[in-house]
Amino acid sequence: MGWIGLAARLVVGGVWLVAGALKLPDPAASVRAVRAYQLLPEPIVPTVGYALPVLEVLVGICLLVGVLVRVNGALSAILFVAFIIGIASAWARGLQIDCGCFGGGGYDANAQEKYPLELARDFGLLFASVWLVRRPRSPFALDNRLLYAPTDPARRGDQS
Amino acid sequence: MSKRQSNATKQANLQRASERAAIRAEQEAKERRTRAFLVTGTVAAVLVVVVALVVGFQASRDTTGRAATSPAGAVDGYALPIGQDDAPVVVTVYEDMMCPFCGLFESISSERMKEYAESGDVQVRYHVVSFLDRASETRYSTRAANAIAVVLDTAGPEVAVAFHDALFANQPPEGGPGLPDEQMIEMAVEAGADRAAIEGPIADLAFEQWVVNSTGEWSDRGFTGTPTVTVNDEKVEFTSAEDLLAGTEAAIDEALAD
Repeated sequence: MGWIGLAARLVVGGVWLVAGALKLPDPAASVRAVRAYQLLPEPIVPTVGYALPVLEVLVGICLLVGVLVRVNGALSAILFVAFIIGIASAWARGLQIDCGCFGGGGYDANAQEKYPLELARDFGLLFASVWLVRRPRSPFALDNRLLYAPTDPARRGDQS
Repeated sequence: MSKRQSNATKQANLQRASERAAIRAEQEAKERRTRAFLVTGTVAAVLVVVVALVVGFQASRDTTGRAATSPAGAVDGYALPIGQDDAPVVVTVYEDMMCPFCGLFESISSERMKEYAESGDVQVRYHVVSFLDRASETRYSTRAANAIAVVLDTAGPEVAVAFHDALFANQPPEGGPGLPDEQMIEMAVEAGADRAAIEGPIADLAFEQWVVNSTGEWSDRGFTGTPTVTVNDEKVEFTSAEDLLAGTEAAIDEALAD
């Protein structure tokens, strides 16, 4: 079971790291990509545009090294739910935008054909994130040393 | 004596042992909870601080909307006009000099737009934005938009539109180096600009901030792609360049009939 968790961490974490890193260099583009969804009130659009890429990178790194896997899995799941809502509503409203998932964003003439695939991908990653919330323990995770390690081995030695 | 421990003593010992074990287990569980709490709190605090710092840093890097010098002759904030200011119909064409679809639309529409402008019925406004800097190795999108602003500022709208047309006629492919400054200066001079007046501001990207704001304004108006054409602020929907031109013409006719 732990190996499934490891695979989920690597896939989900890797996707977040890449997706976030590609968006970091151009904050203005990131803000425009958020605005293109026409879902959020304008006053918070810039902050969301600046925050999303770094949030993605951090969640990605945490999952890859296995720090607070349950918390980051939950964060990852919340982000995927938000993106699924965004993409689905863009689709439903007939918007022609690139999802901006890996940078870019804005108008895309072929957007309508891409929405189903993007949604399928996000649902798959959402499932993997939820798995990590339910079974956060996996091999090669820093959590194994931080959270799950037996307490104070020296004292246990005393008592035996 | 010890061999003949009574059952009662044995049981008491057992009980004491299991009590000790229970206390130890409880202590361990408590320590683990404390540690989990500490680890979670520390990592969460670090993450929150990092996010806040990066958001601040990104906000400082995004200069959209900061004070900028506008080129003389720009209309509606960010557009180069052809046709009269009091024309009854206003057609605004939002485009990125690096966008191939814009080049395609220009190749079939620019003559037609000139006719409309000359008739006095229509003012055509080219609102150049820059969001495709990543599509060239030299930020051609921003350099070309700046060069157009420089020509507009120093030689007026007519020369600037001719220069804009020439840039689209020689549009570089995506992923390449774009047109070098020297070639853009050559083309601007050919269109009627004064070399001495444009060389410096083209090299220095004198209107870069204005170009950034122009892109911000286009996004603020709710547009997400190029080309976008509006006729009297009404967006023209399309599926192909021909379709966009036909839709624009139909909208102009309709506006003129009103």
